[in-house]
Amino acid sequence: MDELILKLKREIIDVLNLEEVSPEDIATDAPLFGEGLGLDSIDALELIVLMEKNYGIKLKDPTQGRDLFKSIRVMAEYIRENRTK
Amino acid sequence: MNDVYILAAQHISSQTPLCEDWMDAPRLYDDAYVRAIDPDYKRYFAPNTARRLGRILKRALLTSQQVMQTSAVNLPDAVITATGGGCMENTEVFLNALTPEQGELLSPTCFMQSTHNTIGSLIAIETQCKGYNSTYSHKGISFECALLDAFLQLENGEADTVLLGAHDELTSNYFRLLCRTGYLGLSPGSFGGETALALMLSGTPCPQALCRVRGVEICFGMDPQAIRRTLEDFLQRIPCDSGEIDAVMLGVNNREANDRVYADWCPVLFPGQRFLRYKHLFGESYTAPALGCYAAAVCLHRQRIPAHLCSGDAPMGEPRHILLYNCFEHKNHSFILLSSCGK
Repeated sequence: MDELILKLKREIIDVLNLEEVSPEDIATDAPLFGEGLGLDSIDALELIVLMEKNYGIKLKDPTQGRDLFKSIRVMAEYIRENRTK
Repeated sequence: MNDVYILAAQHISSQTPLCEDWMDAPRLYDDAYVRAIDPDYKRYFAPNTARRLGRILKRALLTSQQVMQTSAVNLPDAVITATGGGCMENTEVFLNALTPEQGELLSPTCFMQSTHNTIGSLIAIETQCKGYNSTYSHKGISFECALLDAFLQLENGEADTVLLGAHDELTSNYFRLLCRTGYLGLSPGSFGGETALALMLSGTPCPQALCRVRGVEICFGMDPQAIRRTLEDFLQRIPCDSGEIDAVMLGVNNREANDRVYADWCPVLFPGQRFLRYKHLFGESYTAPALGCYAAAVCLHRQRIPAHLCSGDAPMGEPRHILLYNCFEHKNHSFILLSSCGK
C-alpha cells in the first residue's frame, strides 16, 4: 500500500505539473481539493484520465469523484480494489 | 482622428528577455533553431498560477503584465493578439496522444490550451479586461493584421489603450516541418526563432512613449509597380514624403528563398534608401515582424540605430522616421511607418 501511495503521489505531481511539490509534501490523508493541494475542477478531470490510463479504472459517474478524490489514501485504496492494470 | 503611440514594449525572444540589451550587446547564433530565452518565471508567478500554463502562455502573460507595469496602464480597453501557430506545444502533446490512446484519455489541460485564442483569453482573464478581444492568425502577416485593428480602433477613438501581443513558439518538431515546407532552413546567418512581444498602444500622447505609429498598410500582389503605387498612396495619405524616411527595416533573413523578393523589389520601392534588418538577432517566425517593429520603436526612442542593425551603410544620425516593409511568401506585403514622438 505504501508503495502504491508513493507512486500515486509521483504521478499526481507529474500530471498536474506541481513543480514545487515533492511526494513528502503531500499528506496522505489531507484533502486534495479546496485545502491541502488546492486542486480545482480541471485537475479533477486530469485525475479521472490518470485513473483510467494508469490503472484501467473508468469512472462512469462523475459524482463518484467527490468521494474518490478525498485524499491520496482514499484514492490508493480505491485503486487497489478496482484496478484492472 | 487620434494619433497612435507605442507607450511601452516588452519581449521574450532569442535576445536577453525583458530588456533592451540587444541594442549594445546582441546575442548572435550559428544554430538554425533557437528557442527564446525564458526568464525565471518563478520570480513572477505563484506556482499554482504557472503550473498549468504552457511556455507560450507564460511568455504572453509575463510580457503583458510587464508592459502594463511599464506603461502604467492598469486596465487596457482592448486585448488584441497575433499568433501564426498558436499554442503549438500543447497542440502537439494533444495530437500525439490521439493515436496511441485511440482518441480517448486526452489531457484536458492541453486540449483547453491548444487553441489560438487561448492566449488572448488568458490575458483577458488575468488582466480582468472585459473589453474587445480578438486574435489574428494569418501566418506571416498576423502581426500587421492585429496592429491594423488596434491602429484603427485607437485612431477612431473606439479605444484609448490597446494591449497588443505577438506570440509564436517553435517546437523542434514544428521546426522540422517548416524546414520541409521551405519556410525555414539551414542557411548561415538565418535561424528559426520564437516571438513573445507585448506592446501597449494608446491614442493619447505621453512623454514616455517610444514612438508614434503613423500608418499601417497591408496589400496583396506580385507586381512591384502596383505595390509601389500602394506605397506611394500610403505615404501620401499619412502624409509623409519618402525623402523624410531615415531607413527602411526589412524582413530579410539570409535565406535566398525569402530575400529574393527584397533584392528584386527594394530598388523599385525604395530607391536610394538605407536599409535595416532584425531577423539575424530575433530569428524567423510568423510574428517576427512584431520584433522588427519593436526594434525600430526602441531605435526611435533612443534616437540612435546600432551598427549591427544596418545593412551596408554605417549607422546614421538621430532617426525620425522608420518604415517597416515585410513580405510574406512573395505576395503578402505590409508597410508600417513609425516616427519619433519629437516630430
